[in-house]
Order: sequence, then structure tokens, then C-alpha cells
Amino acid sequence: MKNPLNKRFIRELKEEAGKYLVIFILMAFSIALTAGYIVADGSMIKAYNDSFEKFNIEDGNFTAKKKLNLSQKNLIEGYGIKIYENFYATLKDGQKKTYRIFKNRSEVNRIDVLEGRLPESVNEIVLDRAFCDNNNLKIGDTIRISDNDYVLTGAVALSDYSTMFEDNSDMMFDAVHFTVGVVTDECFESFKNLSYNYAFKYNEAPANEIDEKNKADELSKKIGNEIVLESFTPRYLNRAINFTGEDMSSDKGMMEILFYMIIVIMGFVFAVTITNTIQKEMTVIGTLLASGYSRKELIIHYMTMPLIVTIISAIIGNILGYTLLKNYIVALYYRSYSLPSYTTIWSTEGFIKTTIIPILMMIVINFSILSYKLNMPIMNFLRRQTSSSNKKRAFPLSRRIPFIDRYRLRIFFKNIPSYLVMLIGILFANLLILFGLDFPYIIDQFEKEMISNPIAPYITMLNMPESMKRDNHKLETGIEMLEFYNSVQTENEDAEKISAYTLKSLPDPDIDYKGEQVTIYGIEKDSDYVKLDFSNHQVYVSSAYADKFNYEKGDHIVLKEEYEDKYYEFEIDGSYDYMGSLCIFMSREDLNKTFDMDKDTFVGYLSKTRIDDIDDKYIGTVVDQDALTKVSRQLKLSFGGMMDMVVVFAVVIYVVLIYILSKMMIDASAQSISMSKIMGYSNGEIASLYIMTTTIVFVLLLVGSLPLEIESLKYIFRIMMTSKMSGWFPLTVGTNIITKTIIIAISSYAVTSMFELIRVAKIPMDQALKNVE
Amino acid sequence: MFLELKNIHKSYGEKDYKVEVLKGIDLSVEKGEFVVLLGPSGSGKSTLLNIIGGIDEADEGQIIVEGKVLEDMSKAQMTRYRREHLGYIFQMYNLIPNLTVRENIETGAFLSKNPLDIDSLINVLGLKDHQNKLPNQLSGGQQQRTSIGRAIVKNPSILLCDEPTGALDYATSKEIMKLIETVNQTYYTTIIMVTHNDAFKDMADRVIRLRDGQVRKNYLNQTKIKAEDLEW
Repeated sequence: MKNPLNKRFIRELKEEAGKYLVIFILMAFSIALTAGYIVADGSMIKAYNDSFEKFNIEDGNFTAKKKLNLSQKNLIEGYGIKIYENFYATLKDGQKKTYRIFKNRSEVNRIDVLEGRLPESVNEIVLDRAFCDNNNLKIGDTIRISDNDYVLTGAVALSDYSTMFEDNSDMMFDAVHFTVGVVTDECFESFKNLSYNYAFKYNEAPANEIDEKNKADELSKKIGNEIVLESFTPRYLNRAINFTGEDMSSDKGMMEILFYMIIVIMGFVFAVTITNTIQKEMTVIGTLLASGYSRKELIIHYMTMPLIVTIISAIIGNILGYTLLKNYIVALYYRSYSLPSYTTIWSTEGFIKTTIIPILMMIVINFSILSYKLNMPIMNFLRRQTSSSNKKRAFPLSRRIPFIDRYRLRIFFKNIPSYLVMLIGILFANLLILFGLDFPYIIDQFEKEMISNPIAPYITMLNMPESMKRDNHKLETGIEMLEFYNSVQTENEDAEKISAYTLKSLPDPDIDYKGEQVTIYGIEKDSDYVKLDFSNHQVYVSSAYADKFNYEKGDHIVLKEEYEDKYYEFEIDGSYDYMGSLCIFMSREDLNKTFDMDKDTFVGYLSKTRIDDIDDKYIGTVVDQDALTKVSRQLKLSFGGMMDMVVVFAVVIYVVLIYILSKMMIDASAQSISMSKIMGYSNGEIASLYIMTTTIVFVLLLVGSLPLEIESLKYIFRIMMTSKMSGWFPLTVGTNIITKTIIIAISSYAVTSMFELIRVAKIPMDQALKNVE
Repeated sequence: MFLELKNIHKSYGEKDYKVEVLKGIDLSVEKGEFVVLLGPSGSGKSTLLNIIGGIDEADEGQIIVEGKVLEDMSKAQMTRYRREHLGYIFQMYNLIPNLTVRENIETGAFLSKNPLDIDSLINVLGLKDHQNKLPNQLSGGQQQRTSIGRAIVKNPSILLCDEPTGALDYATSKEIMKLIETVNQTYYTTIIMVTHNDAFKDMADRVIRLRDGQVRKNYLNQTKIKAEDLEW
């Protein structure tokens, strides 16, 4: 004969439909999101990792000032590498978009045609798929670039540009305004002003990362001795190649942490629920035990429903994860990254993490609590005496406190365990809401700051050959320098010369910091733009730099040459209010001296107006408002959708958690509420006691926990900014963000409370006649 | 007439499963009367009490309390009726577990514009030393005394008692009955008490005996004795 108790399951499901439904929604949604993320991420990472071999991605590249002749090529190839022409032309359109155009490279850095076909005639072009998507370009569209019309024949992924970094030192990639593309060889031959970039592959692959670094360091020196190098980028430093993989790995880590936090909350909810069920069913349990049921049978009985719900949630969650959510997350990645085509792969790891572990957690939590709670003499169950109830004394409350307030305090004391779970939920959900709302706000603030407080409205950096900065080329490049400096003088009256030098900060594995480029600006002593006192050789750091590493006056910073073992140490004399990048300010004279350059050397201008009397070929980059806001634009594009989802998710957590906890608290007091009704208390009065108490606690916890959430947010943000991104955003949690968070939380609570009002109204008076509390 | 019930019918279930619990009850109670409702299990006495208390509704018939017809009352009016006129005592006390003895009594006082003095009531109930204890720290008798305190502190005109001694031993039951008698005499509270203990009829002013949902006997007790003299 089947256990007759099993008949209760369907009835319990009907009676507690609301509770199980919300638990199901939260679990299925969380599992779907995490499974979706793990599967999407895993599939994409696999496609990304496979692309190195599949498309033969370079081991590094360098840009020469001039095309290499055969002997130079042979000489360089003698250093244990094979080099491939990787020339590109930089074209612009009328909308400030930059196109880096290549020939179709058949040997290294091959491309993946995701849609359409490769160009076959001179007026055809294929462009990066993410760029096409972000700019609504469709195959067949005609695009005007650098005064020529091209027909778009395909959307592609260039294997060496999975992330659109125009320059390796850019703070952020830009998949909206920068793209790569391919034209026919014939078309490519018509381009002028090519960049003579060469990709290389080692004849013997490096054994490990250290070997790779040593090989690259050695190679850069050797090549630099032979030719005028404009850039040298080994693969491990190439952010256009590596950023995607690093970002996807860290996203996955964050997602998993998020998921386990939800599972812990759900674990608490289940713990409170099961305790509540036992409390409610004490006499039933006592009777069943007295009738001969074993504790084991009862433990299995009471564990069944929560487990069934978890298993169903896991199944549905996985199905949704592998379908809808996976597609959504893939779309998010595709919006930012130029990944090759992928195949969905089953993730055993994902299955274990999203399905097996939550189920095991539920089993362990429920089993432990049930074993503990059921381990009492049968008589205690029949007398409704919990293990602690005999010892429990009333917490003394002064009679001066009005009766209603004392009543509410008693309700509060009774429900402390539930309120603790609520606190954990509030902390977690608020953190998500704050993060979701504040991230776009920070980007906006950063953008405003960039526009309102630049170093100068225009920073024009001259295109200075790499060789001019190198000691060993001083003599060789003397004439070239003279010619260069004659050509880069300006008549612009508001222009002010600057020198600059780029070094790299040292990595710090303790905080997962990989190091980044730091620009050192040499400023005129009486500058109209950077008003700092340089009279005693002072050195200042930008406020962004000071904020990121908590630098103060007197601290020392050690920086190094990017490709050499040469270190520089600076003592900080103060900070300069500039949030745009990590940089150091000193006088031009001091900078030139520090880096062993001629005292009159300058590499660019600060100006109020655009400098237009210098030949374009000598202009490297112009940092204007548009360039400064590139980072914020890309971040909005990459994270906008994600942040909305984070907020929605937090609201789901709020509604589910508050619903379950309030329901349990009301259910646990149903007898008292019923009796109060018999005595003549109105529904409003009862709500003012029971629901108002929870409301007051909720508001207090909500407001009281905000400082902790803000501090946690700052902590998480700092970790994220140091480990994942170059540069720095000042973390400001605006009053409007706090207000919005409170409004969202209270609205979620208010909606849930409506159900509680209905629940209170529905508790029948005869409840008091049926059961014993 | 203080309380009047006319042709009260009540049934539960539907169609084939319909059980008629009350089959046309008529009765009247005077102000201050101590009424004992007797009858075997299933006779309908608790149902009748619940209908008088407004916890349950009759299918047919009229209940008139001090000239007001219960059936005509809205939900809010019904709540006010319970609030102003009724006190309820159950077999299983139904105390609010997380409130102390005193606070449980205060839940009743809170509802009344003119409650009894809580301290003196606690003295009368013999709960002075226990007033700061939670219900689970009390004996059954102490819990029932608390529930009586809670019911009468608001000075109700009717006290409905549903087997108030059903879960108590002989001595404690007697103690509770004495207390109910005191309430009746001191505050002139009309008491309607459901019991299956035949002995309690001797302390009543009026005895109503129910069987199969009908009044079989309804008479005034001419030989009323004190609660302390009851034996069973």
C-alpha cells in the first residue's frame, strides 16, 4: 500500500499554491539565467578559444614606419618568427566613424563570414558584424567611406579583432564608431597612407606565459634595433584579441556568485518555511509518530514538496536557460563583441552548478532542520511544546509603551528569524538595484565630467615616430626630428605645447590588477589649462589616479617602460582634478629631463580651438569631446540591457521574498488573527498590527541597510574597476539613485502587501475554533 | 427581550452530503441570565453559539439582540457588534502566544471605550503573579482564566462560553465555573455556556437542551445552586 500521506502533496500544492509558485518563479528564473549564462558563455568561450587555431591568430604584431624590404624581412624572420603582411588603411566617413580596412588575409588572422559573402569587386566591402548591428547596416546597403561608395556584401568577424580596440591603450573599446573590414586586393591597392603592420607567429610556440613574455621582450628589442618601430604588440598584451576572453571569464564568475547568493537566500526561505510547517503541524506529527510512523518517514514526507519544487524549477530553468535566456545573453555578447559563429555546447559544469548543487543544498538544509526539529519526545509534539518553548520567557516591555506598540513589538520578537532572512534579501536585492541603477548614472556623471572638465578642450598629439623616443636612434633620427619639429609649429594663439610620455603601472596580483598605461604630461609652467605649481619640480597625479589607488601626498609611484625593464619612481605632491584617465602631471622641462629628451621637446598641444594648420600626417590623435565620451558610449551599449535585467531581477527577488515571508508570518499568526476577529478587531486594525509591523521593519531595514549596501557597492566597484578595466570612474551614488532604490523597494513591497491584506481579510473566524495555537 | 432567536436553520454540505445541524431553533434570553446549553455531540449547540456570536451565519431565521437584527447588519456593523457586546471563551483558550497574560487581557480592553480596570481584574482572576508570563508558561487553568479576563475586560453584555472547562481537571473546572458565576453576578453579564457536563445545569438560570438540532427542553431552573456546591 502506498503511503497515504502522499495524498497530501497535491492538496498541499493547491493550498500553498502562491508560496510554491513564487518559489518556483524565483528558482526557475535564477537557474534559467545562470544556466543560460553558463551555456552562452561556455559556448562562446569555446568558439573564441577555438578561433585561435581555426583562424590562425597571430602571436603578435608590429608596425613599421616603412614597408620592410626583403633583407629586413629576412633578418627579422631570423629571430625565430614568420612574419605576414597585415597592412591596413584607416578610412573615415562623415559620421566620425573609423574604418580599419584590410585585404583578406589568407594565412594569419583569417576571418569568419557570418552572413553574406566576401567582396568580389572593387566597390564591395565586408564589415565587422557587431558594427553592422550597432549601426543598423544591412547586406546590400551602400556605405560612403572616404569619398567612395561601397556595397556591404557581408558581416564578418576578424579573428584578431574580437573586441574593437582602435588603439591598444584605449580605456574602452568602441563597437559603434570603430570597425574593421575587408576589401578585395584590387581595391586595397588603391589606398594610400597605409599602416605597415606585420603579424608574426613564432616558429616555436612559447612554452608558457613567462616564456611568451620573455620572447616578446627580446623580440621587440631586436626588431627595434633594426627598423623604426611604431608599435609592438605581442598577443598577450593585445586587448583587441584578449579582452573578450578575459571579460567572458570574469562575467561568468560574477554570475555564479550572484546565483549562489540567490540559492543561499532560497535556502533560508526553505529553512524558515519548513520550520513554519513543522510548527503548524506539531500535533499531526505527534499523532503520526504515536501511531508508529518513523521519524525518517516523516522527514522524507516533509522534504518531498520543497524538493519537487526545486527539481521542477531546475528542469524548467534549464530548458529556459538553454533556449530563451541563452539567446538573450548571446545577443548581449554579440552586441559588444565580434565573436565568430558558435555552436551551443552542453555544459556539464553548468548542469552541476545550476541543478545538482541547488538540489543538494535543498536536501541538506531541509534534512538538517527536519532532523533537528523532529528530534523531540512525541509528547512535546502533542502538547505543542517546541524544544525551546518551555524555557521561553516574555521579553519585558514597559507598560508606558502604548498597548498597540507593545503588541507590534511582540509580533516583531516572534518573527525575528523571518526578519533576518528579510534583511539578507534586502541587502542582496538593494545591492542589485543600486548596481543596476547606479552604473548608468556613473557613466552619465563620468560623461558630464569629461565634457565639463577636460585637461583642455583639444589635446592634439603629434604623430611622432617611435624611433625618436629611443636613445639608440638619436643620431640616426636627428634630421628627421628637425624636419618634424619645423612642420609641427602652429599659429594657433591658444595652443600650448606639451610633452608626454607613456609608462605602465606595475601589476598587482593581490588585487587582480594587470597594470595599465599611464600618461605623463609635461605642462608649461605658466599653463592656461593645467594651473599647477611646478616651481619646485612638483609631480601631481590626476584625481582619477589618486582615487583608484587611494594615493595621497607623499606616496611613491613606480612605473615602468612598457617593453623594457626600466623603472621610474615619482613622489606625489598632490592631485589635479581630472577624472578622464590615469595620468601624471609635471612641468614640460622636468618631463623632458626625466626621459632624457631635449629640453624643447614637445609632442603635442593643448588648445581651446582645433589646430588646423599642421599637416594631417603629423597629427596622431586629437582628443576632443567626442573622443572623451567614447568610453561612456560603449559602456552604455555593452551594459545598458544587462543593467535593466539586473534591476528586474532584483524586483523579482523582492516580490518573491517579501511574499513568502509575509505569508508565513501571517499564516503563523492565523489563529491569533482569527481570535482577534472574533473579539471584534476589524481587518484594518489587524492589518495595522500584523502588516504594519512588517512594514515598519521593512522600511527600517531598507533605510538602515543602505549605508552598508553603498559601501559594499563601492567595494565591488573598486574590485571590478581595478581587475577588469583601465582607467577609473568616480563612484558616486546619487541621491536620486538612492531615492529610486527606495521607491522600487517600497513599491515592490506595497504590491506584495496587497496580497497580505487580502490574506488577512480571508482568515476565517472559525479558524480559532478548529486548531490550537 | 434581550436576545431572541427565531426559527434558526443551519446546514452544512451540499446536495447528498447536506447535513442539517439546526432545524428551526426558537429561544429567548433575558438580560443577565445565565443560560446553559446542553446536548450530546452533534446536537448543534456549538453551531448555535457561533451563530449568536456572529462567527457563523444562519441559513434561515432571525437573531435579535437588544432590538437589533443580526442578519441586517453589514460586515462592519457585525464587527462592531462583536466588539461592543460579545466576549468569547473557548475550550482551548486561543490566547495569543507571543503576548503576555496582561497583554492578552489588554487586547480585549483595547476594544472597549469603557474597559474594566485591568489590575483589579488580574487580581480577581488570581493572575497577579503570572501577568508577565507568556501563555506557554501557564497551566491550563491559568490560561483559561486569562482568556476569561480577555473576554470580560471590555465589559461585554453577552459572554459566550464554548466548553470552557472541557480541557480542565475537576478542581480547575470548578474554579473556572466560580469565576464565570462571579462575572455574571458582579457585572450582570448575560452568559450563554455550551457544555456537555450535565452538572452545570444546576447553576444556570435557564437550561436549554438540544438534540438533533432542535430544542428538546427549555426551562428556568428553580433550584439554582452555587458553583462551589456543584458535584460531578
